Amino acid sequence: MKDFDITRRRFVEKSLTLTGVTALASTMPVMSQMAWAAGEAVKAYGVTTAQPRDWSLMEKSVGIKVDYTPTNADIGVFMRDVISNDLGATHDIFIFDGGTEDILGPQGYYAEVIEDHPQLTLWERTPDAWKRADFLRADDKQYSVPVIGNGDAFGYFPESIDANPNGLDEIPWTTFFEGEAIKGRVAIDRSWLQSLSETANYLKHHGVVAIEDPADLTAEEARPVVDFLIERKRAGQFRTIFTAFEEQVQLLSNREIDMINCWEPATKEANEALGANTVIYAFTVEGYYKWGHGASVHTKALDRGNLDNIYKLLNYFLSGEYRAYQAKQRGYAGPNMDLGVAYATENGWSQEDIDLLKWTEEKVARKFEKPFWCKTAPVNADVMEDEWQRFLNA
Amino acid sequence: MIAASARTRSHTRLAAIAARLSPARLSVPTFLAAWVFFVILPLLVIVVFSFFQVRSYRLVYELSFDTWQSLIESGRWMIALRTLRVAVTMTVIELLLAFPFALWLAKGCRSKSAKAVIITLLTIPFFLDAASRIIIWRAILGTNGMINTALMASGLVDQPVSWLLYSEFAVHFGMLGTSFPTMVFPIFIIISLIDDSYLAASDDLGASPVQTLIYVTLPMALPGILAGIIFTFVPLMAAYIEPQLLGGGFVDLLGNSVDSALQQLRYPMAAALSTVVVALLGLCLTAFTLLTRNRLDLSTIFSTLRQ
Repeated sequence: MKDFDITRRRFVEKSLTLTGVTALASTMPVMSQMAWAAGEAVKAYGVTTAQPRDWSLMEKSVGIKVDYTPTNADIGVFMRDVISNDLGATHDIFIFDGGTEDILGPQGYYAEVIEDHPQLTLWERTPDAWKRADFLRADDKQYSVPVIGNGDAFGYFPESIDANPNGLDEIPWTTFFEGEAIKGRVAIDRSWLQSLSETANYLKHHGVVAIEDPADLTAEEARPVVDFLIERKRAGQFRTIFTAFEEQVQLLSNREIDMINCWEPATKEANEALGANTVIYAFTVEGYYKWGHGASVHTKALDRGNLDNIYKLLNYFLSGEYRAYQAKQRGYAGPNMDLGVAYATENGWSQEDIDLLKWTEEKVARKFEKPFWCKTAPVNADVMEDEWQRFLNA
Repeated sequence: MIAASARTRSHTRLAAIAARLSPARLSVPTFLAAWVFFVILPLLVIVVFSFFQVRSYRLVYELSFDTWQSLIESGRWMIALRTLRVAVTMTVIELLLAFPFALWLAKGCRSKSAKAVIITLLTIPFFLDAASRIIIWRAILGTNGMINTALMASGLVDQPVSWLLYSEFAVHFGMLGTSFPTMVFPIFIIISLIDDSYLAASDDLGASPVQTLIYVTLPMALPGILAGIIFTFVPLMAAYIEPQLLGGGFVDLLGNSVDSALQQLRYPMAAALSTVVVALLGLCLTAFTLLTRNRLDLSTIFSTLRQ
């Protein structure tokens, strides 16, 4: 049935290809498919932050070109583009928050990673903690290659909770949800994937609610979690329920709030305005909303004769150059940070930059010791979204 | 003779057909057909969609009441009521502010250049992106914003006034500027069309300014008021930028709820919420018609424009 899956785009493509091939065959009879494919750009579609700020470095070191289409972190848009808009017909690699493979892998959109592909030279030495993570696998099959990752918690002004200003102490989520000192000055993310899961993990950790997976709540689990949030909302714990990254930065920079379950880069940007270490991104007691981006090859890309270049790009995501620049420019960690440090040293980076890479690795390793991984596409998404509306409407 | 008679009969039939196909006779059925195709049919599709389901980000064409059940259980139906309350409140506030302003602009403001400047200023909201216009209020209404800083500095308050931002007050306040022009313009235009001789005649006959306002200006301005109410009320039912930016997540309206459902590709839920909006608008129109049936005839209200 799949063989007869003719869409309008494919029909036009096939017609044009047939015409083109006929014309080429008459003029260049000796040109092989492999030689033609060698100059083919890899077409990638994924979250903006997964791409390096400058692809030319990669082009120079790996010798391939990448045509990258960025998208935001909206799971609905991503799923719509892959499933309904058939983006696999034009794009080879998809990079998104781990978790999409649970749906797109078994349904035939993502191809399994060819672990012994000759161009995936760094796969073997990549630690299992990264490459075998749940968020890259489904049904015991490997669908994605790790790209970047972090553990999200909250940012805070240390003086508002009388905390150590060096930021190394663990701050409990209890402060976020129930701290009297900051009552009415806490901002909580409107994204239920993040806030609902973090609340569930907090309640699970303290034995308040029996929860199996904080990132994928059943109706029976979600209800008491939301009841708790409603109680805290009515008690006046939250100042605002924010939406966007820019809002996170603004809330911190204006000192409208004392604590916020934001992304780490928001605290970096706020500190640029407020001064170094004014806002601390927390190490927590109960755990983190740990996430990781994975890169997956679309099944339709397997037959396009460009697989070597595709796997060269996958391998680049595991390399020292990519790791070093992602850590320096965005503060994100990922697999093989030791290669990142080696790259920085070999290329004469300053000691400060090298120390930053080492600190990024230590920081993420410390966070990853704690429990709880996020899920981008939980099975109970409908239930969780409905329950979250109950919180918003309370 | 026979051929001439046949030709005459044929001409008569053609004339009758031509008369039936005249633009005047065709316009109503054509309009109704277009209305059904472009408006009613999509609405019916939306209603039908609300009875389907989404599983693993795919639409499943199986009829079910699940979406409507979760609409009630999750409290999303309460958003509909809140949206209606906010929309009605804002429409009334805008009408109370816009009518005297439009009356002054149309009949009181004698300087043509001042009038031109004011009309130009009123169009500014249409040119600026709503989000960039509204987000400015955060810096003004926040706890460390301009107003709170001034209040604290003057000693009027000891602590920042927190309800200025992230509250229903803030949402209403943000909507004021957005909806004001849509209420003012139709009223201003209709009052401008009122012949000054009617007002002068009322004055000559001994009516006070208030009596002239109630018995002459208001009835003649009704089409503009009605248009202003519609142009203001309907967009307010779909407002989502003000609640999102100034409500701080505490004042969710239907637009925000639809947005949240669409982010998860929950098309049936978005369709159900849209059905609720249309039903509410229908209810409002029915209630309005019933309440005004003895005082206001919608079919003749615009006849004042011919005077």
